[in-house]
Amino acid sequence: MSYVSQAARLRIKAAWLGTLVVVFAITILSLGRHSSAQSKNSEHISQPNSEPNSERNSEPAIRVPSNVAWTEETLTIVSSGDAFRGLLLARRCNHCHGEEGFSSVPTFPNLAGQDRLSFWKQMQDFRSGKRASPVMQGIAEGFPARASADLAAYYAMLPTASDPQDTRAFPQAMQDPSRASMAIHLIVFGDGQRGIPPCQSCHGPVSYVKGAPPLAAQNGDYLEQQLEHFSSGQRTNDINVRMRSIARQLTAEEKTAVSEYYGAGLGPGVNSR
Amino acid sequence: MKKIGKKIGFVAAMALVGLAILSTRYDMVDLPVWHFFGGGRGIDPASLHLQGEFVESNLGAAEGPAGSVTVRMIAQQFVFVPQCIVVPAAVPITFRITSADVVHTLSFLGTDYGLKAVPGAVTEATFTFAKAGEFKIPCHEFCGAGHYAMRGQLDVVPREQFASLLPGERRTCELR
Repeated sequence: MSYVSQAARLRIKAAWLGTLVVVFAITILSLGRHSSAQSKNSEHISQPNSEPNSERNSEPAIRVPSNVAWTEETLTIVSSGDAFRGLLLARRCNHCHGEEGFSSVPTFPNLAGQDRLSFWKQMQDFRSGKRASPVMQGIAEGFPARASADLAAYYAMLPTASDPQDTRAFPQAMQDPSRASMAIHLIVFGDGQRGIPPCQSCHGPVSYVKGAPPLAAQNGDYLEQQLEHFSSGQRTNDINVRMRSIARQLTAEEKTAVSEYYGAGLGPGVNSR
Repeated sequence: MKKIGKKIGFVAAMALVGLAILSTRYDMVDLPVWHFFGGGRGIDPASLHLQGEFVESNLGAAEGPAGSVTVRMIAQQFVFVPQCIVVPAAVPITFRITSADVVHTLSFLGTDYGLKAVPGAVTEATFTFAKAGEFKIPCHEFCGAGHYAMRGQLDVVPREQFASLLPGERRTCELR
């Protein structure tokens, strides 16, 4: 008979097991494959100039497309806009963008029914010069973050239904209706072979991505101009090169087709005809 | 007495299973275990474009001092950025990829290689493409309405056609 009791033996066993688990845990935490890389990487976040893999001083100059990031704070600011204050502020926009948010010039964008986030982001980008526009930069400087949020709230609630008494340019008939099938194919299916996602998967109504404006009530000439600017690199304020990558893949005819189709009020979307 | 022993054994077994799961995950993704406990040390998927490794000017193929090639990519709904990358053949290529929104998985069609892009974490893997060729990079993890059209491209060119890069230079198909 052993002089150690049954309970004591169990306790010893448990202690051994516990030690094993702790040793195992410490090993995983400290000797993991990427533990050293990760610790360098987290330094890297705070200091953008340091780099893992001993590539110090070899980073290109940082190019920031837009100062806007969809963090919690940003979303709070944008969603707290006051539509009534926006209504008062919108007098400064009426001359070009129309009293009902529909422009009478087809190369100016319609603002009625615009998504709050995309509207706010464009205003911030105009202010910071990330989206180059000699006209809008000066105007946007008068709208700090809070005022832009108010405007965004106002335009988001403007209806996009047609009004015969308004002097709006929208909608304009397609110049070449035979391009409609090309347009609807890109809007609904995209082109997987070339890596072009369908327009409606980000711009609605199928699903929305933060910062992507709805297109169903937008002027065709404006859309075509912007697609052209994205593909030529004249407009670079899309976060993570999203629209630039897509616009580069589109042919000139496809850009025209999609723009005209949306501009004719045929595109799928909320409140489109 | 016997009951206590069983309980201890059960807890220890569960702990081991948990650690085993954590360790496999840890091995695949550059995601330290402390992320699970709210460490908050990962990269912020919403502000990749503002600072850090995945700013747009740092994406694409970069060449290290010893001729090593590192490719940095972002996967997002519904495009890979850069959409087309170019790398030399028969050279180990280190991919570093993260996601700006949801989980994406990419594979290089025609090879055995694939990668998972996780928001908030960096996945790193090193592959060697033996032969030159063009490989499509489809997304394999359902990521939303445009998932099926999410596709990038990898151009593998012979080593001598891949002109060496300057330290601060980044290469994609457009900037070949």
